[in-house]
Amino acid sequence: MVGYIIRRLLQSVLVVLVVTVIVFILLHSLPGGPARAILGPRATPGQITQFNSENGLDRPLVVQYFTSVFGWFTGNFGFSYVLNQSVGSLLAERLPKTIILAALSLVLTVIVAIPVGVYQAVRRNRIFDYVATGLSFIFYAAPTFFLGLILIEIFSSWLGWFPPEAPQSDGVVPIFQQFPGMILPIVTLALLSIAGFSRYMRSSVLDNVSQDYVRTARAKGASPTRVLWRHVLRNALIPIITLLGLSLPALFAGALITESIFNFPGMGLLFWQAAQQSDYPVELGVVIVTAFATVIGNLLADVGLAAIDPRVTL
Amino acid sequence: MKSHSAGAWRRFLLPGVLVAAASLSLMGCAGSSPGATHAANANAPGKASDTISWALPPATVPNWIWPFSPIADFSVTNSEMQLMMYRTLYWYGDNGKTGVDYSLSLAKQPVYSNGGKTITITLNPYKWSNGESVTAQDVIFWINMDKAEKANYAGYTPGQFPDNILTATSPNPTTVVLTTDKAYSQEWFLMNQLSQITPMPLAWDMTSATAKGDCVTNISGCKAVYTYLNAQSKDLPSYATSKIWSVVDGPWKLSSFNSDGHVTFVPNTVYSGPQKAQVKQFKMVPFTTDSAEFNVVRGGSTLDVGYIPTQDIAQAKPATSAPDAAGPNPLSANYQLIPWFLYGFNYFPINYNNPTVGPIFKQLYFRQALQSVVDQKGVISSAAKNYGVQTTGPVPLFPDSPLISQTEKNNPYPYSIANATKYLTDNGWKVVPKGTTTCVKPGTATGDCGAGIAAGTALTFSLPYASGQATIDTAMASMKSNAAQVGITLNLKPEPFNSVTSTAVPCKGKTCTWEMGNWGGGWVYAPDYYPTGELLFATGAGSNSGSYSNATLDKLIAATNTQSGTAVMQAYEDFMATNVPVIYQPNYTYSLTEVANGLKGFTANNPYGAIKPEDWHY
Repeated sequence: MVGYIIRRLLQSVLVVLVVTVIVFILLHSLPGGPARAILGPRATPGQITQFNSENGLDRPLVVQYFTSVFGWFTGNFGFSYVLNQSVGSLLAERLPKTIILAALSLVLTVIVAIPVGVYQAVRRNRIFDYVATGLSFIFYAAPTFFLGLILIEIFSSWLGWFPPEAPQSDGVVPIFQQFPGMILPIVTLALLSIAGFSRYMRSSVLDNVSQDYVRTARAKGASPTRVLWRHVLRNALIPIITLLGLSLPALFAGALITESIFNFPGMGLLFWQAAQQSDYPVELGVVIVTAFATVIGNLLADVGLAAIDPRVTL
Repeated sequence: MKSHSAGAWRRFLLPGVLVAAASLSLMGCAGSSPGATHAANANAPGKASDTISWALPPATVPNWIWPFSPIADFSVTNSEMQLMMYRTLYWYGDNGKTGVDYSLSLAKQPVYSNGGKTITITLNPYKWSNGESVTAQDVIFWINMDKAEKANYAGYTPGQFPDNILTATSPNPTTVVLTTDKAYSQEWFLMNQLSQITPMPLAWDMTSATAKGDCVTNISGCKAVYTYLNAQSKDLPSYATSKIWSVVDGPWKLSSFNSDGHVTFVPNTVYSGPQKAQVKQFKMVPFTTDSAEFNVVRGGSTLDVGYIPTQDIAQAKPATSAPDAAGPNPLSANYQLIPWFLYGFNYFPINYNNPTVGPIFKQLYFRQALQSVVDQKGVISSAAKNYGVQTTGPVPLFPDSPLISQTEKNNPYPYSIANATKYLTDNGWKVVPKGTTTCVKPGTATGDCGAGIAAGTALTFSLPYASGQATIDTAMASMKSNAAQVGITLNLKPEPFNSVTSTAVPCKGKTCTWEMGNWGGGWVYAPDYYPTGELLFATGAGSNSGSYSNATLDKLIAATNTQSGTAVMQAYEDFMATNVPVIYQPNYTYSLTEVANGLKGFTANNPYGAIKPEDWHY
């Protein structure tokens, strides 16, 4: 297992580097370029030349790339020439916010979606199943911005239960001190996931309850609770484990729409704004973090699968 | 069996669902607990308050404190922050109107002598927060820095300030004497040259935290000082605690600065200007989008000054109302609506050097026809809910000023399909409404299509425009539709802003192939507050995107720089209005400001973008 993990981690570095090469080429293929985007239409050719020179943008692409790579390995992710901050400090500022939002929404998703999915399967084709299925379709189809605005309208404007924006204080502790502000963003993000996860869970449980091993367990006298707890649920969770692993990148990549609606600048918004302003160092910084999260998420999904399913060996 | 097992599993599952529901309801209860962020705070509009919260524009945060801004960091938001602490030599904007407000300026009106080539500036008695006086040396400090590092200053234009300053001396602590290379228009010099000066305290003449510099007395010593101050200005987390930036001559000083845009100011208790701050704190509050801001401002409990996105204005105001008059305000229960226009004009360039379509653009009749299909009033009414102003030339029609010529006021090319058709048919084109208009009379005689235009040439153009703004989307769609009525095909291409701005630049030769480009914002006059055209339309000017070149216009522009009075300005703008070197389009509000009911002292928005929260109080 340890050897497998080490091999996968080494592969991860390679994958991330390949991703950065592709992104780097794509960024530099875009029309325009950072100088005109940042300096604006009133910039003179001389100012553009100076900007390119100061930021190394006039050097060959290969040189620019390897300079960046060297920086990454020495902990220097570059400097945002739009926000006047090091990319490292920007990531340190935004990443915790994004992780808190996405992780709590994932926790809420698991807490709600798994029981709901199982209960739907158990009570399939009953009123609860129909209602839950209908709600799942609605939440799954609803655009995030629409869902967020509706929740703000109901729970903030009408009922006044929650603030319309996320906590504005800097740092992790103040976010939890002003936790009511996190409720609506977390729920907005979670509703979409709950819809998807509960459908997977329902389907997975239905697949399992008709399996021979369930019939065998019942024939051997196991109680329905034991059958569900010890046998069905464990097997039904296998695809969910994979889904959870694949959700890891979202923890780091951020949720652009939710962050925008609730005034909670995280990684998603950082990347979006950097893309609009051709802020290459920031874009690459976010890509690296997200790419690492993706490969690590896949790795964790594989390890988790092996842990829960004895048939799988690494 | 099914029923039995389902019932058993329900007993097992129900607690799980209840736990989840209880978690949610607990979180819900927490939301309404005392002390939650939602609870109405002391800033609720209409209530007495010690703090004023002010919403920053969407996705905009201050990130450069030193008034010597590089062009990358020259923004309205940075200027607002800087001006609260570091006052420019002259204060531009006078209760919502253009011009200089001498009551807020650090200096008296400049006195011109020696045929206009000597300018004497007498300083008012202002103090820095460290107790030192604002002196002539502080002005010289800025000028020296500008001379040494002009390429690093956003306001620099080759040949102008400080290149045109031969000497800058301070015969006594309150007097600065400048001599220039030639006589300039007094209005232009005051509004476009002296506007660049922000006196800097001697405490900033440093090359490190402990080592003094000598930029005040020696230009060659400025580089080291620049390097230090530039590095300090890039060190955002240190702003609020910096010994450098804590020396201010404005009414405010920083209390806290967060790079995410949350900035808090407290009064500079020793401010020596006419109006000290009247509240204990002024807070800048950042927002990711205008929708996020609107969600907060309509709650009415946390923001004292915010804004409403145009799309959230439910009902347009009367078309006949003044541009800055408020219409129906959905937030009127808590706020007063005050539209804010920046001093600028909106247009998009056409490329005269394009080898294919350039010859068409060079024909005045074509530009007249193209301008005639721009339905500015219609777009202002539909997309901007009448919060917009027509553009008819380089001098903004709002706010009103003596500079606006009668030609601009009369709008020589109002929206008219009939006029557009006539311009084309009178000049050798066969107009095919909703088809393709073609040149049928090539040649250069009167009534012919003009030089370089072959028979059969079609009026088909590519028009990339900055995407993402409803007003521009609507304006472009309207123009395309109107142009089609005279057989002009505009192939609209929504693109990112930076893609448009980086394409629509001066060029020449075979690769100079862009045809039109609309980045949506035109031009805002800052820090060139006098609306002359040397940066925009003079032959070879850096921001002359379409490479328009006309000897008469060059002379008129030169005259606006060297001759005082409104006559030369109006001659320039009349030429610009009638010759349409660019295509004019509506100028929209910078912001639809929402000011909390009960907040006093907020009389008008500054057309140059500055704010004066020291006037505001409950």
